[in-house]
Formats: sequence, C-alpha cells, structure tokens
Amino acid sequence: MFDPIDTKSGLPFYRQITDQIHRAVAAGKLQRGDQLPSVRELAMQLLVNPNTVAKVYRDLERDGLLRARRGQGTYIAASASSLAERERSRLIAEQLEQVATDVRAFGMPSESAVDLFRDILTNGRTAKEGLS
Amino acid sequence: MSDNGYAVVSQRLTKCFGRKVALDCVDIHVPVGSIYGLVGPNGAGKTTLIRCLLDLLRPTRGSLTVFGCDASRGPTVRRRIGHVAALQPMWEWMRVRELAKFMSGCYPRWNADAVSRLLDRTGIDRGARIETLSRGQRTLAALAVQIGHDPDLLILDEALTGLDPLARREILRSVIEMMHGQRRTVLIAGQDLSDMERICDHVGILVEGRLVVEAPLEALRLRTKRLRVSHAPDTQLSTPAGATSVERGLRETRFVLGDGADDVLHELRAQGLQTDADDLSLEEIVVCLAQSAPAGVG
Repeated sequence: MFDPIDTKSGLPFYRQITDQIHRAVAAGKLQRGDQLPSVRELAMQLLVNPNTVAKVYRDLERDGLLRARRGQGTYIAASASSLAERERSRLIAEQLEQVATDVRAFGMPSESAVDLFRDILTNGRTAKEGLS
Repeated sequence: MSDNGYAVVSQRLTKCFGRKVALDCVDIHVPVGSIYGLVGPNGAGKTTLIRCLLDLLRPTRGSLTVFGCDASRGPTVRRRIGHVAALQPMWEWMRVRELAKFMSGCYPRWNADAVSRLLDRTGIDRGARIETLSRGQRTLAALAVQIGHDPDLLILDEALTGLDPLARREILRSVIEMMHGQRRTVLIAGQDLSDMERICDHVGILVEGRLVVEAPLEALRLRTKRLRVSHAPDTQLSTPAGATSVERGLRETRFVLGDGADDVLHELRAQGLQTDADDLSLEEIVVCLAQSAPAGVG
C-alpha cells in the first residue's frame, strides 16, 4: 500500500511518509478503522530509520488522524471528509508550487497558466492529448 | 557506569602513524539508540576510528569511551560491541550452523531467535560452508552471528560496500529489525550514501582525519541548501560568506551554503535576482564539504 521512498526528490522522508498517509486518507484509500503496519514493519518495508516512522505516527496521532491502541497497533481515526481543508490545500499547494517554478522560469503569463489549469480541471486534458 | 546518553564519546581523539595524522582532535558523540553514519572519502580516518573503538589501535592522544568506559578496557567493553567489516576473515571451512553454534559459546547472551529470523528471511542455507557463500551471503551470515550476541553497539565497517542491491536491502532490513524498540546503537561507516541516508538519523563527516560536521541528519539537510541564482550573462556575483561550493555559469550561478541560506536567499531576491533554493542529498553535502575542507592536516 505504501509507495517506495523517493531518495532523489530531496523531500525529507518524514514529509514523504506523512504525505502518503494524508493522500491515502483524502482519496479514501485508507478509511476510519483501517490498521496501519507497525512502526517496525513499515520501517523495514520502506527501508527508513524506525525513529522517522515513529515520529510520523506520533505527530499524526497528535493531529487526530491516527489513533494508537496500546499493544494493538495504529489505526486511522479520521475520515476523508473530516481531513482538515487546510491539509488538503497544503497537499495541492505543494505540487502547484513546483509547477509555479516552471511557469515563472518559462516566462509564461500567470493568466495563461491559470487558464491552462482551469482547462485541465474541467476537461481532464492531459499534456499528451494536448500535444496531439 | 554513567554514559550520559551516549554510546560513543571521544575528546580530542588523535591517532598518528609516524608523521601521518590519521585522526586529528576528533570529538565524536554517538547517541544511544541512534543509527549513526560515519561518512567521508577513502582515507579520511573512518576505519582508524573504528579500530580504536575495538581496541585494535590505541589513540596517540585524547580519550575514547564506549558506554562510559574507556575503549581500552578490554573484554568488558568489547563484549558489548558487534562488528561486521567488508571482506572480514571468517572460518571458511565452517558450516553456517556451526559458525552460529561456535559463536553462541563465546558470548554470555545469545539470541538464537534473532539469528534464525535473519537466516530464514535471507534464505541462507545453514548447511552451507562459509567458503561457498556469495559475498552478500557471507556478510549476512557475519551479521547474523553479530546480532546473535545481542550487542549494545553494532558497528558496520564498509559492510554494505560492493554488495548487490538485494543483499544491501537485507542488511538494512536486519539493522532496522534489531534496532526497533531496543536501546541499541548502530555505527555505520561507508560510502553508500544513499543507503545511509535512508536509515541513519545522525551523521558525522570525516575529512582528512577531522570531523568537519556532526549533526542529526534531518537538521543537516534542513540547513544545507543550494541556491540557484539567475542573472544577466557574465554577471560576477560576489560569493556569500560561508559558501562551500560555487559554480558559475553564463546565466546562472549556484552556491551551496551550510548555514544561513535563508538570509542569503532573501538578500539576493531583494536585489531583484530570481533565486531558488534546493535541498541536497547526503552525497552532495559530503562532496561539497570534502571539497571545501582546507587542504593538509595538522
């Protein structure tokens, strides 16, 4: 269920794992009551320091997204609808920031970029189809 | 014996071989429970430091303690350390199961389950003679018996170097498995920075015998940035203070800063220069630091 860590992206592993869980909840792939792998299992699967996974779980528990039941494991506590709007905005904003870097570098007017994004949102047009 | 939360501490540790200074006033601090990556170019002193830890070498000057005891205290300290090195000599004629049985008699604690788990997971044939094992399997067998004696400190000296990806993954997995929930400490010395970046939470970077950086990996990654500045052709930007690497292109200049990147970023943007900041991989950080270290030691 978890994607491999991208060691080339420069994004901290803590951030990558946190975002994966947020995305899975936002997209309904993880639902309230679903059990997550143990810290050790996930660390072994993703090949990352177990302290990193433990910190992700701890912080998400503090945020109310996860709940740890003593000796039983860690579960999803929040549903997609209750995932804070600001969390969802943050996930989208992070990706848009990367796009914005290119838009600026290419010298594309903001209006054209926004139009393009609106077009993609409504028509679901992919870059490939756009080129053909 | 108090260890102040550190598995390994040195103070002004210095080791000379004749005129050659292999370790130069090294102050290392390896927290208990950490996976500490000791990195740096070949000949930087990593193995010398480990040989001092194992009491195979005596420091010329300075002190070195393991769990609060002087490293030269002999078996009492040595027994708490597990050690796996690249291409380490082993009893070639022994079968894997004989090696495990023999080693189990040498240590007061023996965790047969941990050994079995590792051998089962990696599919190493217990009946195989050591001499018939592949390089990866040998290292895994060596790791299995070192984990078996339940060390408080596990040292991997270039143990990942030159192994195929599958064997490296299994070693990393085994380290993660033995780490979790225990107050165990792992010290990994090596060149495989992408692997070490995955599992280490602390790094020490040795360059020419000096420990030029020691920090939690996350903090090091947060504060080290590459700034990319776009400018008109042939503009000579002045190098910001503290830049460890400078690349000048026709329309772009790149600086790597180990600290204070945010201030420089704001300053450049305030001058109207389009500037972006990138994160660096551990490998890039090490390369920049190794290049910028002052030449010569002592």
